[in-house]
Amino acid sequence: MVPCMETRCTRTRNEAAPRLRSEVARGIVGALPVLAAVIAYGLVLGAQAVQKGLHFLEVPLMTGSNYAGGSEFAAIGLWASPPPVLLIVGITFLINSRHLLMGAVLTPFIRHLPRWKALSVLFFMSDESWALGYADTLRRAGTGQRPPFSLGFYVGCAGVIYLGWLGSTTLGAAIGPHLGDVEAYGFDMAFPAVFLVIVAGMWKGYVAALPWLVSLAVAVLIFLLVPGAWFVVAGTAAGLGTAYCRAKPR
Amino acid sequence: MIPAVDLVTILLMALATYATRVGGYVLLRDRTLGPRAEAVMKAAPGCVLLAVIAPYFVAPRLADLIALGVTILAAARLPMLAVVVTAVASAGLLRHALG
Repeated sequence: MVPCMETRCTRTRNEAAPRLRSEVARGIVGALPVLAAVIAYGLVLGAQAVQKGLHFLEVPLMTGSNYAGGSEFAAIGLWASPPPVLLIVGITFLINSRHLLMGAVLTPFIRHLPRWKALSVLFFMSDESWALGYADTLRRAGTGQRPPFSLGFYVGCAGVIYLGWLGSTTLGAAIGPHLGDVEAYGFDMAFPAVFLVIVAGMWKGYVAALPWLVSLAVAVLIFLLVPGAWFVVAGTAAGLGTAYCRAKPR
Repeated sequence: MIPAVDLVTILLMALATYATRVGGYVLLRDRTLGPRAEAVMKAAPGCVLLAVIAPYFVAPRLADLIALGVTILAAARLPMLAVVVTAVASAGLLRHALG
């Protein structure tokens, strides 16, 4: 499905600039549907953080530098004065270990970039920006566009999501106590919705999707049985194991 | 005044997270994958996406489960924005209707 692993940009500078601008714009538009969920979560996180005793300025410091929502919710849940440093850092690494795989999936498509660009792309890789960027890469590869990974599109969508997260967590920290129950309005549902659309876009029938369904089933099971964020690791591992066993070694 | 231990915690969190983000790239940058590893990599995105949203499939509220079902049906047919609007609207309405 992914024919062009070899991807050198052969365009000249002159024609690349306006195209880059339109690609960034396309990325910004592509990220807008996710923004509702990102902002709703950000407001909740910022509000919870100050209620847990974090200084107002610590919130953007954390969400801007760590920039991984799941681990930040966990860290704030564990926060105290003084915070249990090693526990928080360890949990952060575990929850975000899925990034290892996401980065590995992206690697064939960003290998050709200069190293600083690739490392910057990876800093801004959230669940949402990765999913949108990867879906776009598959789409471009399918229609023979080169390179499949559009840096402009990624900059647009990852930038919007980053600013949305940083801005909404900061705002949440500022207006925290006055904020009602954001979840009551249903914005949080945008998060699974986006992921389901991307899965639907990759769908090629139940047989091909078996590893995904195994991943989902095991993740649900572990979520019900084991506290914490283990369900992501366990589900993904089971799905990958299924894919591995099914593939023929050459 | 922000305590130093807070700053250290945040800094180490950021480093741990960035390590997870660049780890896969650093390990695989100079390698080509065998057929099995490639099959695993192709399955990976769907596995991660569905594992992350697994809790939604066993949400305690009936309204949320129905909204998820509606969202799945929408995702199979509609473009992104329409699905997100459907998801948010159905979750909001059903929560108000069913509690």
